[in-house]
Amino acid sequence: MAPSSRRVDLADRVRRAAAGLDWWLIGAAALISGFGVYMVRAATRTDVPGQPDYYFNRQLAYVLVGLVAMVAVARLDLERVGRYVWVLWGGLCAALAVVLIIGSTGGGARSWIEYGPVRVQPSELGKVVLIVVLATVIVQRSGDLDPRRLTLLALGLTALPAAIVFIQPDLGTALVYVAILFAILWVAGQPWTHFAVFGTVVATVAVLVLWALPAAGVDVLKPYQVERLTAFVDSGADRSETGYQLEQSKTAIGSGGALGKGTDGATQTINDFLPEHHTDFIFAVVAEMFGFVGGGALILAYALVVWRGLRILSRARGRVDQLVAAGVVAMFSFQVFVNIGMNVGIMPITGLPLPFMSYGGSHTLTNLVAVGLLLRVAQRRPPQVRPL
Amino acid sequence: MRPPRSPLGGPRRPGGGGRSPLTPRGAVRIAAFGVITIGLIAVLLIQLWFLQVVRGGQYEQQAEANRLRTVITEAPRGVITDRNGTPVVSNRAGQDVVGRPQDLTGPRGREVLARLARTLDVPVRDLVRRVAQARQNAPYENVVLAEDVPLDLQAYLQEQRRAFPGVSLQSVFLRDYPRGATAAHVLGTVGAITPEEFQAFRRRGYLGNERVGQSGLEATYEQYLRGVAGRSEVEVDAQGAPVGRGVISSSPPVPGNTLRLSIDLPTQLALQRALKAQVRLAGLSTGAAGVAMDPRTGEILAIASYPTFRPDVFVSGSPRQVRGLLRDGSQPLLNRAIAGQYPAGSTYKPISSTAAIEDGYTTPDEELESPGVIELYDREWQGFRKRDHGIVDVRSALEVSSDTYYYQLAARMYESQGRTSLQEWSRRYGLGRPSGIDVGGESSGLVPDRAWKRSICTPGALECSWLPGDSINMSIGQGNVLVTPLQMATAYAAVANGGTLVTPTIASAVLDQDGRVLRNLVAGRPRREIRPAIDEATLGAIREGLFRASNGDEGTATAVFGNLPEPYRVAGKTGTAENPPNPDHSWFVGYAPATRTPRIVVAVVVERGGTGASAAAPVVCQTMAAYLDFRPGRCGEGGEAN
Repeated sequence: MAPSSRRVDLADRVRRAAAGLDWWLIGAAALISGFGVYMVRAATRTDVPGQPDYYFNRQLAYVLVGLVAMVAVARLDLERVGRYVWVLWGGLCAALAVVLIIGSTGGGARSWIEYGPVRVQPSELGKVVLIVVLATVIVQRSGDLDPRRLTLLALGLTALPAAIVFIQPDLGTALVYVAILFAILWVAGQPWTHFAVFGTVVATVAVLVLWALPAAGVDVLKPYQVERLTAFVDSGADRSETGYQLEQSKTAIGSGGALGKGTDGATQTINDFLPEHHTDFIFAVVAEMFGFVGGGALILAYALVVWRGLRILSRARGRVDQLVAAGVVAMFSFQVFVNIGMNVGIMPITGLPLPFMSYGGSHTLTNLVAVGLLLRVAQRRPPQVRPL
Repeated sequence: MRPPRSPLGGPRRPGGGGRSPLTPRGAVRIAAFGVITIGLIAVLLIQLWFLQVVRGGQYEQQAEANRLRTVITEAPRGVITDRNGTPVVSNRAGQDVVGRPQDLTGPRGREVLARLARTLDVPVRDLVRRVAQARQNAPYENVVLAEDVPLDLQAYLQEQRRAFPGVSLQSVFLRDYPRGATAAHVLGTVGAITPEEFQAFRRRGYLGNERVGQSGLEATYEQYLRGVAGRSEVEVDAQGAPVGRGVISSSPPVPGNTLRLSIDLPTQLALQRALKAQVRLAGLSTGAAGVAMDPRTGEILAIASYPTFRPDVFVSGSPRQVRGLLRDGSQPLLNRAIAGQYPAGSTYKPISSTAAIEDGYTTPDEELESPGVIELYDREWQGFRKRDHGIVDVRSALEVSSDTYYYQLAARMYESQGRTSLQEWSRRYGLGRPSGIDVGGESSGLVPDRAWKRSICTPGALECSWLPGDSINMSIGQGNVLVTPLQMATAYAAVANGGTLVTPTIASAVLDQDGRVLRNLVAGRPRREIRPAIDEATLGAIREGLFRASNGDEGTATAVFGNLPEPYRVAGKTGTAENPPNPDHSWFVGYAPATRTPRIVVAVVVERGGTGASAAAPVVCQTMAAYLDFRPGRCGEGGEAN
């Protein structure tokens, strides 16, 4: 290659870096994140007296940090990370265990580590760590383990962190871990009989935990968890805290109508009838303020993210890449479905945030890092630039 | 082999195909994964469509109901005054405990209600029932949970309001009775609309949570007394604190109109005092009642029943006090003046006289023997105390209250074909049916006839037909004749006013806030001439007989009325209604002034009071003294006479 000036070299490097970037995915994630920052402000401007921008400023900072992290992760060498997979897994379990012992409590769960002004929620970042760990280990061991042992290994790798998170108690995040595991095993091509067994076990456990054991006097879940899980079935009947949240959420969404009530007319949000309006129920705020048009557009934006994720997944070059992409897509789609589902009253209230939208540092960071992982996978496709 | 197609990404580019981990089976798995994820998102869109577009209107209402609180400013109910404008019923301020039905249902609401029930010391199921009912009828209006709570309880609820979400205090106007028990039996009570009444009130524009007249005048004149509550809509947040624009709309409260009664307070008080005094004097008496009325118009001047009660027991009394009143054996709640049914005794004689003369069985001037005992139909019939009154015509028969005179007329009437003269004339004088007074609860009394006798006839009884003795007893107001004091006042008013049956009316006018008359309540009341018209000579003879009964040398009530100055002369009849095995009821019915246009007719009965002159006549005299303004000292003590 002929020597070239530094300038040309730089331009070429930028072009190479940009090549293979999925701009649709970046655009959708950035758009939703930006909209999320705007919605956090719209929903919370009266929450902290005298500081209309309290949550807005913080969420904006989280998104900016998250975007930097996304770019960084997009350049990550997954193979090198794979060498430290057991360190990662051990670190995750250790961090979760530490939280359980010395962590601080929020929303009924002991989920945070506080260090000065920084509050980190390890279970959030644990999602991407778990994705990388599972993808790497499965690919590494698929040669020397028969499928059943491989499934059991993956199950074990997921079960420990999921169990710790469940004890915190943060049922929603534990379920995200399980969803990630299932998606990765599924795409990894594990026999479908394994999933049939999983399904049976999960159904049995659900029946035991929610009905049979309480009937026998053994309470596995805390009462508020049972209430949350079952309230959506018949929310009109009770006015308990959970039923109240659900009723107010549906009222906020329904009253938005086709075109919404605007940021000033959304009384369910502004007058504080809708609880957790900047975190778990931020979708209801969107739907109240911007109606079916706004809420539907947001759902379509998530569909775009998921579609780009699936596209990257189907075109991934390496096995690890493929499974990482599957884990990320599962994480996004599960959280979107469960969160919006609980907002609109078709899923139990499990306390999951809405990706890119809900207020929260660890959670925003995690989602943008996950986008970074997808971008990384997409970029490892053969370069599309014209031959030099 | 052809490289597999990506399920989502179009044809694979030849450059990377060889190194792709994607197998055909893998592609199917990814496709299935994609279908599930995209499918779930589609489900969300459908549910969002359902919530926002299909059911949006309903949720919009719900959101509005969340956001808006209706603050009710209660309007005072109309004041009730006597004919001179002195308040008999007015209002005072009080505080009700109210709750929002939507906040008080479900487990959380029930907890609050249970706490409130302990605080108020009432059964929790009462509160739950009220809330459930209100939730059904007017879910966004406050429901009254406790009325007129005392100050210390108000303070407690204010302090502890965080423990009672959805519960608040509401200023209300409560009925106040500045004159205590005065006219208690006709004023009536005010209370919450009962479930049974709800639909009827709803049709008349009530919400269902108002206090309405439940009985008496309060119920009859509800439409005038009712105030229209002021309402303002306020925007609030989830804690119920006003926010944003605050008051959105408001309408001021409109007070109810004043109801002016025809009752004359001094006359009313005199009647009440005199009844009470006579009941205590008589010793064995179980009660008494009296009505004073203007015989020209039917306006009630005084109406009282003894024993009585304080109406504010129903406003602020404890449930125990109310129960005590309801269970009291002396029946203080019974309005004896309109619902008490008594044998008329000799006060019935003007009606017998009218029947006998008008139907041609005698003339005003025909004279008959009036022995102490007379034989008719092979039986001996005794007069009162077996007194021999010599020869009497209708005037002197009334004066001395001859029984045997009427026995003979009764025998004549029985023997002729017109065996129903007494019944017909009783009905023409208004007996046997409610007079139509403007408060509920009136009794019909009883005019016995052949049909009635058959209806009470038990199988196997000896005689079910109308017998001579039935007519003979009826002619002196005994047997089975039953009347109320109000009916007797109306009948004597007809004698006094020349034969017009008036409709007794307690309320005379509806006034606005400035005292202007909005509606005259007396003018429109029915007045019926008695048909066939009673001959003026007949009425004249009866009036003279009644006058002599109260003023004549041998008059049965002369001892009471004989000493009155000329402008206040009374015409009236004593009655001693046999009430075996208990002592006789004492009656007097009369009007005054007898020598000019009569302005007042008074009927009084004293249960187990003895003879008419002894107990009832003095009450009538005291009442007339108060109304016609002569010294009550001119009234004499009663004697022994029927």
